[in-house]
Amino acid sequence: MSVAMSESITTNEYTDDLRYEIFNREFMPHIDSMYNFAFRLTMDEDDANDLVQDTYLKAFRFISSFEQGTNAKAWLFRILKNSFINDYRKKSKEPSKVDYQEVETTYNSEEASDTTYTVDLRADAVQELIGDEVANALNALPVDFRTVIILCDIEGFTYEEMAKILDIPIGTVRSRLHRARNLLKEKLKSYASSMGYDS
Amino acid sequence: MNASSHTPSVTEEAQKQTMKHSCDHHAECMKIIQSILDDEATEAEKDHFRENMDKCLPCIEAYRLEKCIKESLSLKLVKKPCPQSIMDTILSKVNS
Repeated sequence: MSVAMSESITTNEYTDDLRYEIFNREFMPHIDSMYNFAFRLTMDEDDANDLVQDTYLKAFRFISSFEQGTNAKAWLFRILKNSFINDYRKKSKEPSKVDYQEVETTYNSEEASDTTYTVDLRADAVQELIGDEVANALNALPVDFRTVIILCDIEGFTYEEMAKILDIPIGTVRSRLHRARNLLKEKLKSYASSMGYDS
Repeated sequence: MNASSHTPSVTEEAQKQTMKHSCDHHAECMKIIQSILDDEATEAEKDHFRENMDKCLPCIEAYRLEKCIKESLSLKLVKKPCPQSIMDTILSKVNS
């Protein structure tokens, strides 16, 4: 499996001491962000624990393809995302059939502009929502849409970093994010309505 | 309480009247608004934003909403620390 962020896979001959040093200095500080990413993808604590552990062990095994001074967080997120797709998505507890269908339908029109698309939701209504309600709205999104929002709005990755993490062009990052935010607004709207915040 | 804080001033009223109440290119504006908030806007998008965003009510509302959602996501969601046991397992496997 290739985990290099760059086009060509570079292999660095690190000494054992340096491998441990890089691991502790560059990788371990991101473990809380990685854990939260894993939890928001799998929505299950045990799966998140396994996913983070697998990702860090893979990162150590492939450490020679990590270039010192490059973006370790993006590199780790990319490995975690790939592990999730390859190993966890299949056994995910999400109602995947429905989700995949929804994702597929939405992807087919991903480049099509939704020109008249607006959700009747006010900023004041969103301000009233508590963290759990916002989290539930986010969790209700199909995983590919949830992912771009997590990467951009929670983790603060740039579009370019997201493109590398997700292996998609920047244009697709933009359009997927745009679509994800419209879906999120719909979910937030239904929470706001059920709480009576939108009247 | 000061009543004037609730009454729009004459200037504000005049400004409101010259404002657009509908936007003909809202979909395009939405993309620009998101680029601005994501700090990914091109110079052309920044120029468009500076020139138009104080004149168009739907765009001002949309900007407020997008900003509020983005801030809610980054500030309101609980961030759990990785369990110590997972960190211990990783470190012991790496060091073995």
